[in-house]
Amino acid sequence: MKQRTALLALTLAGSLALAGCSPASDAPDSGGDGIGGTPTAGGTLRVLQNADFSHLDPAQGFDGGVNNFYRLIYRTLTTQGTGEGAEGTEIVPDLATDLGTHNDDATEWTFTLKDDIFFEDGTPITSADVKFGVERALDPSISIGSPYAKIVLDIPEGYEGFYSSGPLDSIETPDEKTIVFHLNQPYADFAAVVAQAPFTPFPADAGVTTTSVDQQPIASGPYRVTEYQRGSTLVLERNEHWSKESDDVRGAYPDSYEWSFGLDGATIDERMIAGQGDDRNAIAGSVQAASIARIQTPEIQERTIQGLQGCTTYMPMNTTKPGMDNPLVRQAINLAVDKQAVKDGTGGSQLADIATTMMPPTVAGFTEFDLYPSDDFAGDPEAAKDLLTEAGYPDGFSFVLDIRNNPKMQAQAEAIQQSLAKAGITVEFNLIDSSTFYEVIGTTSQQHDAAITGWCPDWASGATFLPPIFEGTQIYEKGNSNVAQLNDPAVNARIAEIRAMTDVDEANAAWGELDEQIMELAPAVPLLFEKAVMVVGSNIAGAYAHAGFSGGIDYVSVGLADPEK
Amino acid sequence: MSTVPSELAVESEAKGALPTGGAPTPARRVIATLMKSPAVVVSVCIIVFIALLAVCAPLLAVITGWGPYDFDKSAIDSDLGGIPIGPLGGISAEHWLGVEPGNGRDILVRVAYGAQVSLTIALSATLVTMTLGVVLGMVAGFFGGLADQIISRVMDFLMAFPTLIFMIALLSALPAGNRPVLLVIVLSIFGWPYTARVIRGQTMTLRNSEFVEAARASGARPMRIAFREVLPNLRGTIIVLATLAVPGYIGTEAGLSFLGVGVMPPTPSWGQMISTAVGWYAVDPMFFLIPGTFLFLTVFSFTVLGDHLRTALDAGDAA
Amino acid sequence: MLFYFARRILAAIGVLLLISLFTYAIFFLLSPDPAVQICGKTCTPERIDQIRSQLGLDLPFWQQYWQFLSGIFTGRTYGEGAAAIQCAAPCLGFSFQTNEPVTDMITTRMPVSITVAVGAAVLWMLAGIGGGLLSAVKQGTGWDRGVMMTALAGISLPNYFVALLLQYVLVVQLRWLPFPQSVQFAEDPLLWFQSYLMPWLVLAFGYAAMYSRIVRTNVIDTLGQNFMRTARAKGLDAPLVLRRHALRPSLTPVVTLFGMDFAGLLGGALITETVFGLNGVGKLTADSIAKNDQPVIMGVTLLAAGLVVIANMLVDVAYTYLDPRVRVKSA
Repeated sequence: MKQRTALLALTLAGSLALAGCSPASDAPDSGGDGIGGTPTAGGTLRVLQNADFSHLDPAQGFDGGVNNFYRLIYRTLTTQGTGEGAEGTEIVPDLATDLGTHNDDATEWTFTLKDDIFFEDGTPITSADVKFGVERALDPSISIGSPYAKIVLDIPEGYEGFYSSGPLDSIETPDEKTIVFHLNQPYADFAAVVAQAPFTPFPADAGVTTTSVDQQPIASGPYRVTEYQRGSTLVLERNEHWSKESDDVRGAYPDSYEWSFGLDGATIDERMIAGQGDDRNAIAGSVQAASIARIQTPEIQERTIQGLQGCTTYMPMNTTKPGMDNPLVRQAINLAVDKQAVKDGTGGSQLADIATTMMPPTVAGFTEFDLYPSDDFAGDPEAAKDLLTEAGYPDGFSFVLDIRNNPKMQAQAEAIQQSLAKAGITVEFNLIDSSTFYEVIGTTSQQHDAAITGWCPDWASGATFLPPIFEGTQIYEKGNSNVAQLNDPAVNARIAEIRAMTDVDEANAAWGELDEQIMELAPAVPLLFEKAVMVVGSNIAGAYAHAGFSGGIDYVSVGLADPEK
Repeated sequence: MSTVPSELAVESEAKGALPTGGAPTPARRVIATLMKSPAVVVSVCIIVFIALLAVCAPLLAVITGWGPYDFDKSAIDSDLGGIPIGPLGGISAEHWLGVEPGNGRDILVRVAYGAQVSLTIALSATLVTMTLGVVLGMVAGFFGGLADQIISRVMDFLMAFPTLIFMIALLSALPAGNRPVLLVIVLSIFGWPYTARVIRGQTMTLRNSEFVEAARASGARPMRIAFREVLPNLRGTIIVLATLAVPGYIGTEAGLSFLGVGVMPPTPSWGQMISTAVGWYAVDPMFFLIPGTFLFLTVFSFTVLGDHLRTALDAGDAA
Repeated sequence: MLFYFARRILAAIGVLLLISLFTYAIFFLLSPDPAVQICGKTCTPERIDQIRSQLGLDLPFWQQYWQFLSGIFTGRTYGEGAAAIQCAAPCLGFSFQTNEPVTDMITTRMPVSITVAVGAAVLWMLAGIGGGLLSAVKQGTGWDRGVMMTALAGISLPNYFVALLLQYVLVVQLRWLPFPQSVQFAEDPLLWFQSYLMPWLVLAFGYAAMYSRIVRTNVIDTLGQNFMRTARAKGLDAPLVLRRHALRPSLTPVVTLFGMDFAGLLGGALITETVFGLNGVGKLTADSIAKNDQPVIMGVTLLAAGLVVIANMLVDVAYTYLDPRVRVKSA
C-alpha cells in the first residue's frame, strides 16, 4: 500500500463541506465487516509488515500507512474521525478545542488548544510548539511530505524553514493556547489541512533538528517510540503524559505496539492464517492474491476485514507522443484492454473491482458509465482494430509501457500486453525500479507512451481527483501527476467553472459529468478499484478498515479482546 | 549459491584430478567407460530431453494449443484470487503441467520456452568463458613473464570480488536493454578466470614437457607450438571444465532471474517462474515445484556427466 | 617470513582499493542521479543543486572517490556551516533512502548474518567432513555412492528452491516448525533455534555437498601416498592412521575453502536471508539493490570483499601451521 502511494497525495480526508455528504459508506462495495467488540485495555498488539514505514518524521512521510501510524505517536490540531466509511473520513478536533474559526473570506484561521496536552517528557504543548512544527516542516530538506502547508500558508518568497529562515510571520501565537494562520488564498477546507502530518507540534526549545525526528520522534500522542531498528522492529509504549480526557478520537487500548518489518508477504499471510501463539494478537496489511483461496474457511472469514482502498488503478496514455496524440488510438486501446484479465492478475474479485470510470465509487458525485464496453469486460479487439484502421494504423500500433518492477504491476502489464496483442497492438515494457518509478513517470522528458499507476483522492471529492491528473495547467516538468499530459481547452475550462461553484452538490454532480467528458477523450484506461482484505488474529477486537488510510486497519481503535491471553 | 561455477572449478583444482599433459585419451574408450555408468546414461537422456524440449518449444505450443503468453481465464478461479482450477495446480488434459495462477498461462509451454532461454544463455556464456579462459590461460602459462603477471593479477582481482552481489548490482544498474546478452556478458566477465587459472597451471606443466622441447628445438614458432602442441593436450580439461560450467551458469542465471535482475517478464525463464511462485508456494506448490524440478534435473545431469567425464578421462590418463 | 606477510597484506590492500574503485566507478557512471532520488516528490532544480553540493556530487570523479575513501578512515563532514552533518570514521556515507549511516545499518544487521553463518558452518563442516570420510573409507561401496549422489544433488539444487521446499513441507504441511521470526536467543531460545534451523539447513546442504567431495578425494589421495603406506606397514591401526595421518593433510584445501565460504556468508547470505525474511546483511544488500541505494550497496560490497580478502590472508597463515610443506615454501 505504501509503495503504490509514493507520489499520490493521500488522505487529506473529509472536509467541512463534505462532512454531511455520502462518500465511502454508501458505496455498494466498500465498508465491509469490522471485527466486533470493544477492545480491553492492556497487552501488546503486534503488527506484521513487509516494509518499514517511510519516515517517522511527520514532515516527510506521506502515505496512507504511515499517516495511520502517526496518529499513535503524534497529534495535530484536527484529525480524521474513527469508524467505517464517512465516519472515519470526517474531520474532528484533536489538539484544538474545535474546527477553528475564520475571518469573512477564510484567509485567517484561529485555533485554540485544549488543556492537559503534553509531550512525552511532560512538557505542556503550546501554540509555539505547533508553530515551530510547521516552520520546521517547511525546511526544503525534509518537506517531502504533504504539500498543503506550502500551498495555502502565506509564505514569503525564499522562505526555507525555521533552520535557515527563522520564524514564519504568517503564523501568530498571541498566547500559549491560541494560534492564528494567515493564508495566501481563501480556503474553506483549512480545518482539513491542519489535520495533515506536517502540522504535528514539536518542542521549540528541545534541540530538535531536521534529521533528529526521523531517528527519535518526540511523542504528543498516546504512545512513544521506545525501540526502533529500521527495517526490523519498532516498539511503542504508553506515553504516560497523554491524557485520555483530552482525546476524543484515540481508543489507545493496548499497552504497547510491536511491529515486525521485513517479513515476506506470503509468510505474513501464512502466519495470520495459522494465527498461533503471539500471532493471535497480531494484525497485518492486505493479504496477497495467493492467499485469497486459503482464507475462505468460516473460521478465517470470521476474522477477515474488507474495504475499498478508495483509489483508481489506471493506465494514463501520454497524449504528446506520436500516435497517442490521436484520440482514436487511445479509444482503441480502451476498447481492447481485457480488464477481467487485469483483475485476475491482481487477485480476482476479492481484491479488485473493475473500473470503467476514473473516479472511484468512494468519491462524492461518482457517476457510473462505461464508454468502451465489451462482453464480460474482456475487451473488444475487433472494434479496436476498426478504430485503429480509421486512425490510420491498419497494420497495428506499438507503444512502450512504463511499469514498476513489482509482481502485481507486472501481472497487470502482462494482461494488458496480452489483450492488446489481439487487436494488433504491440506493447513493450519499460521496467523501472520501484524506488524511482514515480519520479520517472512524473518527469515529462523521461516518461514513455503509457504507464500503470494509481490515484487516490486527498479527500472524497472530484476536486482532488480529476484536476491533478487531467488539468492542462498542472503539467510540470518534474513531479508531474498529469501523466497523460492532457491539455484539452474544454476540460480545462470546465474544471475552472466547477471550481467556482459554491453549491457543493452541484459541484459534485459536475465532477461526475466531467469524468465522462474526459473519458470521451480517452486519455487513460481506468483499470481497477483495488480492495484491502485483511486477516487479523483471533484475539483482536475493534479492527475495521479505515477509509481515510487506504483501507488499512485503524491503529488507534484496534486492541485486544483479552490482554491476558 | 552452491551452483556458482567457481566452486566446482576450485574443487577440480584442489583435487588435482584433472587430466594433465600426456597424449589425449582416445575418445572411444572414454565413451565406453561412461556408457557403463547408469547415472551417466540417465543424465545424458535427461539433457537430450531438455534440449529437445527447448528446441521443440514452438512445436509444443502448436500441439497443446497454448502459446507461452496466452492467458486462459477459464483455467483459473477469479473469485479465489486467481488460483488454478483443479488439483495439482490445474493439471488437466488441456494443460498437461497445469497453469500459472492469476493468468492461466500453460506451465509446460512456458517451461519449454524457459529451457530455451536458460540453455541459450548458459551455452553462450560457456562458449565465451571457455574461449577467453583458454586463450588467456594459455598466454599466461605459456609465455609467462609480464603477460602472466598481468593476467594473473586480473584473475586474482576478479576472483576476490563478491561475485553475486556485484552481478546483481551491475545488472540492476544497467538499463534493461537486451537482458540475455547482458547476462552472458556479466556471467562471462566473472566466469573466465576460473577456467583460465586451471588452463594456465596445465600449460605451465606442458610447456616444459619433452614434446614441446622437441618442437621448440625443431624451430617452430611459439604460437604454433601453443596451438599445435599444447592445445590438443588440454582438450580433456577443456571438455570437463565446459561440462561443469554449463550447470553453473544455468544455476546462476536462474538465481539472478529469481532475484529479479535476470530475464525480464513476460519472457519465461525458470528462475523467474520460481520467483513468481514464491508468493504462491503455500497455495499452489506445483507452481514452484515444476520449474524447480526442471532446473534441478538439468543442473544435476550436467554435473553428473561432467563429474564422470572427469573421472573417465583421469582413468584414461592413468592407463 | 615477515616479508612474506607484509607482501600479502599489501596485495590485499591493493585488491580492496581496486574493488572499491571499480564499484564506485560503476555506480558513478551507471546510476541515475542520486540527488534526484533523495530530493523526492516535491523537488526543485535549486534543491537538487543544493543536495549535489552537500554530498559532493558536483565534484569530479576522482575527488568524489577520494572523499569516499578518506571518509572510511578519518570520517567525513557533509555540507558546511550550520547544516553540516558529521559522519564519524569508519564513514561509509548515509543511505539515500533512510538517511541512516551505512556503517550503523551494517553493524546492526551483522549479528543475524553471523548467527546464520556460524550455525550453517558448524552443520556443513560436520556433515561435509563426516560424509567425505565415510565415503573415502568405504570407497566404492553403496555408502560411497549414496553420499556422493547426495552431494551432487546438493550442489545442483538451487538454495531458494530448497528453502521453499523446506518451508512448504516443514512449516505449511507438517507444521513441525513455526514461521521463521527474528527473535533473539535470550528472548526465547527454542523459537530462536527453530527460526534459524531452516536457513542453517539450506545453506549447510549446498556447502556440505561440496566439502564432502573434496574431503573424500583428498583422503583417498592421501591414503594412497607413500607415507601412509609406511605408517600402515609399521602396524599402526586403521582409525589412528586415518586420524593422525590422513585427515590433517586432507583438510588443507578444506581450510582454504572454508575461509572463503565462511567470510562470504558473513557478508550476507543474500538469497537465504531474503527467502526466510531474516534481517541480516544479505537482506540489506538485496533491499538496497532493489531500491538502488548506492551508499549501502557500496558499503556491503566493500564489506563482503574485505571479508573474503582477510579470510584469504588468514587461510594462508593457517596453512603454514597445518601443512609443514607450505611453511618451507613461504619462508
